[in-house]
Amino acid sequence: MAAITTIYLVYLFTPIVLLFVGSFGDSWTNSLLPSGFTVDWYLELWQDGSFRRAFIVSLEVVAATCAICTAIAVPLAYALYKSASRGVMVAARIVFLLPIAAPPLVLAFGFILVFSSDELPWLGSLWLLIAGHVVLTLPYLLQTLVADMRHLGLNTLEQAAESLGASFAGRFFDIVVPMLRHSLGSGLIMVAALSIGEFQLSNLISGFLYRPYPVVLLQAFYGATGFACAATVVLLSLAILAAAGGAFAARSASAYRQSAA
Amino acid sequence: MSIELQNVNFTYPGTDVGVTGIDLTVADGELLAVIGASGSGKTTLLKLIAGFETTNAGHILLNGEDVSRLPVRDRQLGVVFQSYALFPHMTAWQNVAYPLKIRRTAPAERHRLAVEALARVGLKGFEDRRPQSLSGGQQQRIALARALVFQPRALLLDEPLSALDAGLRGEMRDEIRRLQREFNISTVHITHDQEEALSMADRVAVMERGRLVQIASPRELYDAPATRSIAGFVGEANLWDGTVAAPDTVEVAFGRLATAPHGLAMGSPVTVLVRPENIQVGAGQVPVNTFAGTVVRDRFLGAVRRYDLAIEDSVILGETGIRGSIDIVSIRPEDVRLLPA
Repeated sequence: MAAITTIYLVYLFTPIVLLFVGSFGDSWTNSLLPSGFTVDWYLELWQDGSFRRAFIVSLEVVAATCAICTAIAVPLAYALYKSASRGVMVAARIVFLLPIAAPPLVLAFGFILVFSSDELPWLGSLWLLIAGHVVLTLPYLLQTLVADMRHLGLNTLEQAAESLGASFAGRFFDIVVPMLRHSLGSGLIMVAALSIGEFQLSNLISGFLYRPYPVVLLQAFYGATGFACAATVVLLSLAILAAAGGAFAARSASAYRQSAA
Repeated sequence: MSIELQNVNFTYPGTDVGVTGIDLTVADGELLAVIGASGSGKTTLLKLIAGFETTNAGHILLNGEDVSRLPVRDRQLGVVFQSYALFPHMTAWQNVAYPLKIRRTAPAERHRLAVEALARVGLKGFEDRRPQSLSGGQQQRIALARALVFQPRALLLDEPLSALDAGLRGEMRDEIRRLQREFNISTVHITHDQEEALSMADRVAVMERGRLVQIASPRELYDAPATRSIAGFVGEANLWDGTVAAPDTVEVAFGRLATAPHGLAMGSPVTVLVRPENIQVGAGQVPVNTFAGTVVRDRFLGAVRRYDLAIEDSVILGETGIRGSIDIVSIRPEDVRLLPA
């Protein structure tokens, strides 16, 4: 068991370690490890305006995706949990799982068809990119929240709050939302990680001004290996940062609610 | 504040399960226990009073005001749930203060009142603890404090002791009764534990298949149950099929039993009830109702011993503190109760 775990961990972390090593290597051609040490690749990356801009765009897209997903998923998950009809529940589940089943490529073609017309000329805009990311990531958050609601037995707690005089809004914000803080946190980590690394849809629908980091990263692979490694390490850091930010935002919101109790 | 139910009817949508023709009154400051087997409708009754379900017909009155159509939050009733239903993301005092927060009590005042309420239920010093770090009994006390802190019109207890172990249950019975008296609050206590109902309640209501079959004081319910099923449900009982043989005698499978004068018609079928603790070991002072048999089952329960004495094909269930051998028992005529067959 320990051997399998070790092999798996080596398999998992070797590319990451090699990326990190490669990003500080002066030269890396036809050898197992790079030669020399340099921080020039990171300086070059920093001086490249298109990467800097893509970095900011990615952060904006992640932040907006997390915020919109939270605003939609929490009430939607609650409505699904409360739905008395089993048929409605099944239908809703199918609809919200569709974006997972359909490849992002299919979704992207749909976006291109609809939003490149004269009536809806939004292809290439930042908001359409965010909307695309919301469609792709929402099912994951929704799924996590609905599962947690079932596990927590919210019905009895809500009945208790209702008997104590709480209105619907009071019950929702005082009981339901804080109770979901853990699943919201883990769900947002997933949303942030998916959004930051999303390439297929972004590559097809993002405009020149709003290309997220993974799309711009593709260019780096045509240049020096060290530069490509440094750019990828930055994406990795960005993903970790975004995931931590998502979790922190969920916890802060919950802590605020609790302190107001 | 009184609670009154007038001809209340309710069935769950798409089923014939519910309650039918419920008429009952809980007087100001009274504790009414509602008992019954699983599915008898006792929890449905509580849901109707609390407002979690709405009656199909009939009225629910709180101090004369019809609240049948009033939303749960406006009924102003303190409800203690079987699972306590404490909010795990709040501390003990925040849980207790929650109804006060809803009523817009100033933060400092609601903290003071919550701390005071916790002290009244014996939880001084536990204000900042989370429910999950406390024992079942302590959680139960928080639930009680929360249900009482906003001075509700009445208190509804939904099997509040069922999740506690036996030792703690006895302690909490006394605690609930003490608080109920202290607050002088009308209380409906749902339980499946007849011992709990008999020991705590001013009156006990028995439900069967969605109907209220008897409401009486604990003593009356135990001594004079209305039906054979109630007699069997409330406490241990000898229940024998019998026939009236004389104005003070019934015939049972193992012989004739002298009774107090009963006024029933000769030949009428009856159910004969004798409580096990009323079975005397040895021959009685008056030479009636004395039976010889063999002990076929003997259970030592500590303070008492419960035994089955076989007489031909019949069995007499008895309870006694005597530890010696038993071969003859007697029953005083006044301890023989006759119920409808």
